[in-house]
Amino acid sequence: MKKIFNPKSIVLIGASDEKNTVGFGLADNLLKGKSKIFFVNPFKKEILGEDCFKSVSEIKEKIDLALIAVPQKVVKGVVKECCAKKVGAMIIVSSGFKESGNTKEEEEIVEMVKKAKIPLIGPNCLGIINPSIGLNASFAPLTPKAGNIAFLSQSGALLDSVLGMSEDEDMGFSKVVSYGNEADLGLIDFLDYLKDDPETKVIVVYFEGLKDGRKFMETAREVVKSKPIVMIKSGRTEKGKSAVATHTGTLAGDYDTYIAAMKQCGVILVDTMEELFDSAKALAFLPRMDNGIGIVTNGGGLGVLTVDYCAEIGIQVPDLSNATLSLLEKKKEMGKVPVKRNPLDLIGDALADRYGAGMDILLRQKDVNGLIVISTPQIMTEHEKNARMIVEMKEKYPLKPIICCFLGGPLVSSAVKILEDNDIPNYPDVLRAVKSIKSLIK
Amino acid sequence: MEILSFEETRRLLLKYKLPFCRTEIFNSKDKASVFAEKIGFPVVLKIHAQKIFHKSEIGGVVTNIRNREEFEKAWDGIEKNIRGKNIEGMLVQEMRGGSEIALGMKRDPQFGPVLLFGLGGIFIEIIKDVSLRVAPISREEALAMIKETKGAKILEGARGRKKADLEIIADMLVNLSNLSIKEDKIQSIDFNPVMVEGDKACIADFRIIV
Repeated sequence: MKKIFNPKSIVLIGASDEKNTVGFGLADNLLKGKSKIFFVNPFKKEILGEDCFKSVSEIKEKIDLALIAVPQKVVKGVVKECCAKKVGAMIIVSSGFKESGNTKEEEEIVEMVKKAKIPLIGPNCLGIINPSIGLNASFAPLTPKAGNIAFLSQSGALLDSVLGMSEDEDMGFSKVVSYGNEADLGLIDFLDYLKDDPETKVIVVYFEGLKDGRKFMETAREVVKSKPIVMIKSGRTEKGKSAVATHTGTLAGDYDTYIAAMKQCGVILVDTMEELFDSAKALAFLPRMDNGIGIVTNGGGLGVLTVDYCAEIGIQVPDLSNATLSLLEKKKEMGKVPVKRNPLDLIGDALADRYGAGMDILLRQKDVNGLIVISTPQIMTEHEKNARMIVEMKEKYPLKPIICCFLGGPLVSSAVKILEDNDIPNYPDVLRAVKSIKSLIK
Repeated sequence: MEILSFEETRRLLLKYKLPFCRTEIFNSKDKASVFAEKIGFPVVLKIHAQKIFHKSEIGGVVTNIRNREEFEKAWDGIEKNIRGKNIEGMLVQEMRGGSEIALGMKRDPQFGPVLLFGLGGIFIEIIKDVSLRVAPISREEALAMIKETKGAKILEGARGRKKADLEIIADMLVNLSNLSIKEDKIQSIDFNPVMVEGDKACIADFRIIV
């Protein structure tokens, strides 16, 4: 695995200089990295200014990673050559195997690489990316920012969209893998590797099906002890074929079983891409916490709505203790606040000093393990000052995650930037904030 | 795919300590009615067959039979309804009161045995209030599974209902979990209803598919 993500030398078989081809996309991305790159294409002498070899066997240097992007018919032959060359690992980008009914050839390839003891990713995948060293061994349209989210995807196209969207969301990645047909290396192997990958803090997975559900559960149980896994599944509505004859069969639909299984092994299963991003961001930025949050707001309605959502999804909103109440009573900034409770409604005219005092006192209470801070744009609201106050609180209470909900579009965008620059996630909707803090609960 | 024979079913239920209502299988009306009298009316009379998955839909079940006369009438009626169908025999079963719950298992191609718990009757049929777990499960997990359903409060005696002991249900779930792990030829199990009253539970209807 280490070689796959940190190859000193890479060969691309099927390199091309024709724009809008996979072979070109791969070649172009590879040249941006620091690894030594070799191109193979029997019909070309030169590609993108680099010499082109007729075959892998012509290359004298040692090869850590071979990327295979040739027509399906010649894949097997190329794999054979790569085995003979004793490359460190292979990625078969080409499609036309198990996914389209060609199981036999895929099995033959697996047999070859297993015999040669060479790990294989794919076939039918996009490739891999390791942003921290600038490695982009894929035909994704961009290399994302480096960060601490690992993203594993069974679908290639979806991965492209996610990488595109991540630009706006200010998210960075530690490793990106499109794992395709899992002929050899699969989801379980990558989870296992990422468990000990120091660059990865949270693992995000898009999947359509699992190869071995029980083995997956076993691995996931181990991984989540140190790193959270967030997953989204497509193809949820298909019903089990055995469903007709029994009650249990009908009621335990495929997706319901996935929900139960994921919960049992501690995986966070989400419904939408938005939730996938939102919780990944929270988990990447913030520490995990025990159940129990405080809510600070300058709008009563949103505070109550937040409490409603919390109740619905099982987040505790503890009552304020006598100690907390008396601290609030004594604080002069709180003078105008009529009702002291959780959610703490600082009322519309709250300035940053009142936010600061409220947050500080709530966070001092033992069973307030995290905070949702809501800020609506009243004419006097000091958004940027509020944001800086939150940054201060984050530093003062590093083990208590703070999630923000600054609502107000362009009116609050400069404040949101301050938050996000300091790794404090902001969501323009209280439900999204509530769901994200839920994912932090251990 | 067929339903396990009554004898095999009984053997498994005993082996895995899954309590079931007193039941015997008969092919003779006379012997059956003697047994019915012995266990005491009211009783249930229903068919057991390898290939009949929905026995009440074809008129193969009569409940609340109060005396010998009704019993003989029920026997004749069922015989008429199932004419031409191959059955293993007729089950005579004691009738027990209490809350109805449902326990089940299906063997999932991905996860192996998946266990189900739900309240019986309309709760399972209409509002599909069930919880699932991949086997094996611990006793704690079994209790969590029961409490996860909306109907759990009813078992705990909401609105003056008689309380059902969740511990006994949890025991049954753990035993069902053990069975489904060890008996890998069994494809699915439906125990619906299981009657629970206080700390007594018994499976009234069982369907084990191999």
